[in-house]
Amino acid sequence: MGIRLHIWGERACFTRPELKAERVSYDVITPSAARGILEAIHWKPAIRWHIDRIHVLKPIQFGSFRRNEVSAKANARNAATAMKAGTTAGLGLVAEENRQQRAAMILLDVAYVVEAHFTMTDRAGPDDNPAKHISTFNRRAERGQCFHRPCLGTREFPAEFQLLPEEAALPHSDFLLQTQAAGDVDLGWMLHDIDFTNGKISKFFRARIHNGIIDVPPFDSPELAA
Amino acid sequence: MTEQIQQGILQALVRFYDRMQNAPALGWSQVKFGWAIVLNESGHPVDVMDLRDQSGKKPANRFFMVPAEVKRTAGISPNFLWDKSSYVLGKTAGAGKRTAQEHAAFVKKNLERIAGVEDAGLLALKAFLENWSPERFESEPFQTDMLDANIMFRLDGDARYIHERPAARKLVEARALEADGPEDRIFCLVTGENSKPARLHPAIKGVEGAQIAGASLVSFNCDAFTSYGKAQGENAPTSEGAAFRYGAALNSMLQRGSLNRVARPIGDTTVVFWAEASDRQAAEAADAFGAIALSSDNKDDAEVEKVSETLKRVSRGEALHTIRPDLGEGTRFYVLGLAPNAARLSVRFWLCDTLDAFARNLAMHYQDIAVEPAPWRNLPSPFLLAVKTTAMLEKADNIPKRLVADILNAILTGRAYPRTWLSSVIMRLRAGDDPTGWHAAAARAVLQRMKRKINPTISEKESVPVSLNRDYPNIGYQLGRLFAVYELAQRAALGGVNTSMRDKYFGAASATPASVFPVIIRNGQNHLGVVRKKLAGWSVIIEKELEEIFNKISPEEPSSFPRSLHLEQQGEFALGYYHQRSAKLAGQKSNQSLPEIENDQEDEDA
Repeated sequence: MGIRLHIWGERACFTRPELKAERVSYDVITPSAARGILEAIHWKPAIRWHIDRIHVLKPIQFGSFRRNEVSAKANARNAATAMKAGTTAGLGLVAEENRQQRAAMILLDVAYVVEAHFTMTDRAGPDDNPAKHISTFNRRAERGQCFHRPCLGTREFPAEFQLLPEEAALPHSDFLLQTQAAGDVDLGWMLHDIDFTNGKISKFFRARIHNGIIDVPPFDSPELAA
Repeated sequence: MTEQIQQGILQALVRFYDRMQNAPALGWSQVKFGWAIVLNESGHPVDVMDLRDQSGKKPANRFFMVPAEVKRTAGISPNFLWDKSSYVLGKTAGAGKRTAQEHAAFVKKNLERIAGVEDAGLLALKAFLENWSPERFESEPFQTDMLDANIMFRLDGDARYIHERPAARKLVEARALEADGPEDRIFCLVTGENSKPARLHPAIKGVEGAQIAGASLVSFNCDAFTSYGKAQGENAPTSEGAAFRYGAALNSMLQRGSLNRVARPIGDTTVVFWAEASDRQAAEAADAFGAIALSSDNKDDAEVEKVSETLKRVSRGEALHTIRPDLGEGTRFYVLGLAPNAARLSVRFWLCDTLDAFARNLAMHYQDIAVEPAPWRNLPSPFLLAVKTTAMLEKADNIPKRLVADILNAILTGRAYPRTWLSSVIMRLRAGDDPTGWHAAAARAVLQRMKRKINPTISEKESVPVSLNRDYPNIGYQLGRLFAVYELAQRAALGGVNTSMRDKYFGAASATPASVFPVIIRNGQNHLGVVRKKLAGWSVIIEKELEEIFNKISPEEPSSFPRSLHLEQQGEFALGYYHQRSAKLAGQKSNQSLPEIENDQEDEDA
């Protein structure tokens, strides 16, 4: 059951794991970020999204800025203790005391078409069937509905989206116009997704843009390395 | 269709490392050598090289970087790709009870480790080891001096020793990484190989403003930087080898005096750059080309001239590799801007493209900043441009930090210059800096690029003028001209004055013409009255020029001047002022010039 979703935004940051303290973005959206956008529109434990193909529509452009962030994370164990104790004392995180200035090199003006399909998981109940979920997704995407605002890599860069119906042509691509002469692009190893069932291991794939399209191998493909 | 390699920063740095000469390496050590055997492709020894230092009384062995020496006590333990003569050749000067075993061990170990590697050098060595018999030592080219000395190998016609060939280096490094045992191997996101993980990444030294002991490019020194409960290097699985290599590459480029860095930091950003070509010569030539293109200050004039000539031809549409075939076709060029942030380094910008594309963008930049007369003799570097146009007192410390990096980024990518460049220039002018050609050039560049964005194939006619264009239909430009002519009138009338019209009114005139120009015109009438008596020739010229300009802006009365000019028009104002001031006026004879400001005003009429 395949869908095509056109997504775009003014800014995006698909942070490279090696350069994530002082963030540097990957050149294009990662499959896991694309999955996150689909899940923001429709997801149930009964289904699992798989990204098949990513069309790059805009030339790759970077910009950078520096901003104030925090160095600490909220602690899950403290939160559990607080829940038990019934008080939020000591749970807070004071931004001024945990200040960290971080730079980010982000993507500017991005647009992609994501081709994806889903499979039913073993948590699918008797009422779940692919036809139901695909029509739910299509209906929601068409109306612009989402459970939470989908984002391009990080929460501060919201993603706009539009369902691309089956018969519709692909949107115009500036990327191809600018990059055609140079041929294909080898982007090196890129994050595919995190294997949550297996020790949260990062899985990588060799990303190549061929004619403006990145073919994403399936999650269990031998091409993936972890 | 060729494939463009556009991988990350670390990947590109690791590839630079592979091309470095004298690179320090994991699993290498310095060992004294006497000789090298030169092999042809089929493994036949064609010559021997005496590596000893002959300058002293006795030939002395010299140090060479070779695969790490094994620790030898009593047992037989051969080295990789080199050893002493008893191991390599099975010959020794003394009695040599176990020479045969030693040689056999050397052959066995080396053949094992180079098995299956398709490299001309290693294949030649393989053939040599398989066919060698100690008796062969008695004949040419071998010499008895070689006995018991350390011996290495070289492939005939290659400038490197066999252990220095990339294939051999890889083998050596693989072994160094294995040393700790293969149990905890991880996938390396830089090289894609499975190997020993790096927990902490190397310190990078030499970024201006960062800690002296070095700062990290890759680090996870706060909780917020980690994900999924992973610690340190687990967050970004990188092999020890890749981490070592990118660190070594970056550290060597950042060294003072390195060819691969822009000597002075640009704002707070230290810039390194390097090329990647099919062979080393082309890459080094491209490095040298880039060094001048990115920072022409304090460089050899002849070299700068050569580069500027090349860029001129590029701007006429010629491909770089046809003008400079030595740079290689399809050579890629990388520019990395690093800024310090306490113990970490942040990437300010990262540009990778073909050298051709960079040259095209640079050529376009020099077209866009062109003004006549040019205020510079040699092509100005981005750094100099920023200092001259945006820094208070023209001091490097006063450059708005982010701005220069943005300007450099715009220069190299061909995208729009930051609009803040123009506003900084205007701010400097309003703060009282003398409007120079530099300011005019910056204003023109920003404005021209804006026009170029709308119309990429902009003709000369539609462009923002390079030199005085009397018919350029822009109110800011014409008012700038008008201001310059009135200033001329003041100069002609009064000669040098302590506070000239420019000092008093330039900023206000360019921002709010309607409230300032009436005053200027009134004063101008008085100045012209004086000029008519003193320098009649000049008064005719000036009045003609004024009339011409007034026809262009045609204000019926002073109140019809625009109330205010917006930023772009103020830029045009500075440009028009500069053009008018440096241009020859209509009717001005070639030998007719105004007395210099410093001169006495009683000078003769020209």
